[in-house]
Amino acid sequence: MTQSKQKFKSFVKKAGKAIARFFVKYKYFFAKIGVALITLALTIILLFFLLRLIPGDIVELYALKLQAQQGITFDRAYELASQLLNYDPNEDVFSAFFRYVGGLFRGQLGESYLETGVSANTLLKTRLPWTLFVSSVALFISFFLGVLIGGFVAQRRKGIGNKIASAYIAVSGSIPDYLMALLLVIVFAYKLNWFPSQNNYDAFNTTPGFNFPFIGSVLHHAFLPILSYTLVQTGNWILHMRGSCIGVLGEDYINAARARGLSDRTIRNKYMRKNALLPLVTMFGVTFGALFGGATLMESIFNYPGIGLEISNRIVTKDYMVVQGLIFFSAAMVIVVNLIVDLIYPLIDPRVKRG
Amino acid sequence: MSKAKNFFILVGKTLREFFISFGKTCKKVFSNPKTIAGFVILALFVFIAIFGKLIFPYNADTDVANKYLNPSLEHPFGTDWLGRDVFRQMIAGTSSILEIAFFSAIFTVVIGTVLGIVSGFVGGWVDKIIMGITNIFLSIPSFPVYLLLAAIITIDTPISLAMVISIWSWAGLCRAIRVQVMSLKERDFIQICAVMRMSKAHVIFKELLPNVFSYIVINFVMAMRNAIMASVGIMLVGLAAYDPTNWGAIINAARTKGLINPQNVAILMYPLVAIVIFQSAMLMLANGLDETLNPRLKVM
Amino acid sequence: MNENIIEFRNVSIDYPLKKYTIRAVTDVSLGIKRGKITALVGESGSGKTTLSSSIIKCISEPGKIAAGEIVFFDNADGEEKETVVSGLKEKQLKEFRWKRVSMVFQAAQSALNPVMTVEEQFVETLLAHGEVRDKQKQRERCKDLLSYVKLDADRVLSSYPHELSGGMKQRVMIAFSLLLNPDLIILDEPTTALDVITQNYIFNLLKQINRETDISMILMTHDISVVAKFADYVGVMYGGRLVEYGTVNDIFRKHRHPYTEGLIKATPSIIGDIDKLSPIEGAPPDLMNLPKGCIFSPRCPYAQDICRGDEPPTVYSDDGSKGRCYFYEERKNGR
Repeated sequence: MTQSKQKFKSFVKKAGKAIARFFVKYKYFFAKIGVALITLALTIILLFFLLRLIPGDIVELYALKLQAQQGITFDRAYELASQLLNYDPNEDVFSAFFRYVGGLFRGQLGESYLETGVSANTLLKTRLPWTLFVSSVALFISFFLGVLIGGFVAQRRKGIGNKIASAYIAVSGSIPDYLMALLLVIVFAYKLNWFPSQNNYDAFNTTPGFNFPFIGSVLHHAFLPILSYTLVQTGNWILHMRGSCIGVLGEDYINAARARGLSDRTIRNKYMRKNALLPLVTMFGVTFGALFGGATLMESIFNYPGIGLEISNRIVTKDYMVVQGLIFFSAAMVIVVNLIVDLIYPLIDPRVKRG
Repeated sequence: MSKAKNFFILVGKTLREFFISFGKTCKKVFSNPKTIAGFVILALFVFIAIFGKLIFPYNADTDVANKYLNPSLEHPFGTDWLGRDVFRQMIAGTSSILEIAFFSAIFTVVIGTVLGIVSGFVGGWVDKIIMGITNIFLSIPSFPVYLLLAAIITIDTPISLAMVISIWSWAGLCRAIRVQVMSLKERDFIQICAVMRMSKAHVIFKELLPNVFSYIVINFVMAMRNAIMASVGIMLVGLAAYDPTNWGAIINAARTKGLINPQNVAILMYPLVAIVIFQSAMLMLANGLDETLNPRLKVM
Repeated sequence: MNENIIEFRNVSIDYPLKKYTIRAVTDVSLGIKRGKITALVGESGSGKTTLSSSIIKCISEPGKIAAGEIVFFDNADGEEKETVVSGLKEKQLKEFRWKRVSMVFQAAQSALNPVMTVEEQFVETLLAHGEVRDKQKQRERCKDLLSYVKLDADRVLSSYPHELSGGMKQRVMIAFSLLLNPDLIILDEPTTALDVITQNYIFNLLKQINRETDISMILMTHDISVVAKFADYVGVMYGGRLVEYGTVNDIFRKHRHPYTEGLIKATPSIIGDIDKLSPIEGAPPDLMNLPKGCIFSPRCPYAQDICRGDEPPTVYSDDGSKGRCYFYEERKNGR
């Protein structure tokens, strides 16, 4: 009896130690995950109360709409509206908050007040692919170009290439991306008529699906948005890659590698690029995370049906539950992508310890 | 009581020393061609904003008979769809833009610096809380929030627009200042202050602040740049429609009138070019200041 | 057979900057003796590192050899061959570096790529010179060298640089410099930032390598006592000029240049009294604004009018030593 008890005790002790060791060993991971979860929770709270601050009763707005549509009295419309919206005017802020959080746990980001069957979830399904398609293609192109050109000009700082790159960085840094988009629309869509100025595909002449006219139309429509993103962002990536490379080129190990008789190609690829890319990986992650929120202005200039355009349209129509859901989603994606970058960074940079 | 008095004396002394060193720094700063170019353009915009309105007052009355006039001596930039002078609109819009840029930058820098220094200097729980808040502000995408805030606050003055913009743009600066302060804190000259039992006010105002000051100045310029970017964007979606002469508002109006019409495109180009000039001037100023004030980062 | 392995012939090295050009090394002629340790001493900024890194054309940017030539005497196949290093083409230079002359950098702490393991960097260098293609043999060679510098070879090979201590990295770099069996190793302050015990250990190791393998060495250090203990020949540099050269015995017992005298007097010895230390008055010369005449004249206690006129020529003595001083011959016998 006592023996088995002791055995059990020692087992518990051992297990406890093992668990403790596990936590200590992966402290880095747990700390990062903990911070991410806290940030996520605070984001939910902040967004919820921010939307509560917006003046104007949503039920009242909806009732007014019903009144105009159906020609009934305001009181009747108000009653109908609160029924339809599943809204209890006597519900206090806190229970409303917990109802909202409960919904989030069930994966419901927010129902639309104005359209039945529409919610943040359904909108994400239809809009997010368009946003991600355009912005991630542009991000990958501009990152690739920026790293290539930035590394190239860093090695030839006195050359003409560096001067051109500097000028390009200055110009592209001075023009906001949406104004670049506006310029491109004016030139390529209105003046030259080479590309369409609106929408994501030709809805009259093509049918969505895996067929060439549709894919061609999608690419044709996506060209200008992708081009304007790429033009603006490439300058930024060149700037960062060049700065990072110049920093690395000043390091002693570059000179030491040269003294060892290594070829310029080896030094460029294994020594300069590899080290210079490390800080850019984090930046790439942060930028990628931010894509999920869509680019409101860009999308509204091209009338491109992405998340950003949806958010701004729904703010104008005061469909706040959906707005809340969409903004929460994009914030959550930023947090999650940053977390992933933090967690995989030790695998890329051996200097950052995981212990 | 005397503590407060000492505090004010200290602040006064700091200010005096600051102005003396300011003169010296000015000399150094204005030896950089980029700084000079950026500063001259900024000064030009300020000059236009202050005196332009007096010389070319803007009349918002419509005169449809004279709509879409081509540029002439009387109307250097032509007239818009309601016969209003575009040149005078641009001049009126200059002060609008500058006010927004200036106030946003002040709010952003003040919030970011104060929170950053407190967070880095005090540390512990205060630091954790401030960093938690900063993380949220960095995670939530800014532009949708500008739109939301514009729905909550009625934006009808440059200051209210500046407030909306700066509420969501201080976080990056705060984080950067905190890192600077934390690394300064480890340096010997600050450590010595603790050994010598100097007051916290002394350490903050006489040791920390002067050392992050150049960083703050550069970020002030960058904050102005970002504020223009955000404010023109907000104007462009028509959410802060208090000032139709604001450059962003002019672009938006011309855009909604239809880009098919080349007249509208022509009108739109003036504010667009002005914005690009202003932005590149800010960029040059920031880069120039960076080169002289942060010699460590200088690149041959 | 030429007793020199490297000869500097009137070498001058410039750093062209935006507004002006700095001459870091001025008209240095010096032969490095084969199989011996030659020490270069001098204050910071006296041009030691610039001069020696010019042998493998690794002067830090934007330095350039402005005049003179550096000649390498190859004795590998029994027959003598002259190589003008400054005239080497890019491809030949790559082969020359590390295979003939290797270097332990002043900043040995940061001379290794932080994102590659030590083994990867060793093997990469072997491959770049087309040596030892067999993987097993590569590893053997690396392990031998690391054990030679008394490191735990297996652990160190699989480590990243940041996982090693300063002293370990320094020893890794010394092992690294031996990797291709070079004829000459340049040691640029190989023991900065190390404690005295490790320092002593490393110098003893280097001396041992020098004796066992006959590899010539150029040693740069601020530490006069190290020079006295380990070097065979000493060159004293001041303001980019070689002001005195001779055997270690000549320099320490019969030095004739006032700067050398000052340098030795300024060095504490364990037995001597600290009061007897006398620092050299004044500051090292500003390379952008050199004094007229002998550049040491403003600080020289023996300076005469002639010293402030023209710069003194190099005076050669019968015993192989030389110096840049008007009174070099005079000071030979009595000081």
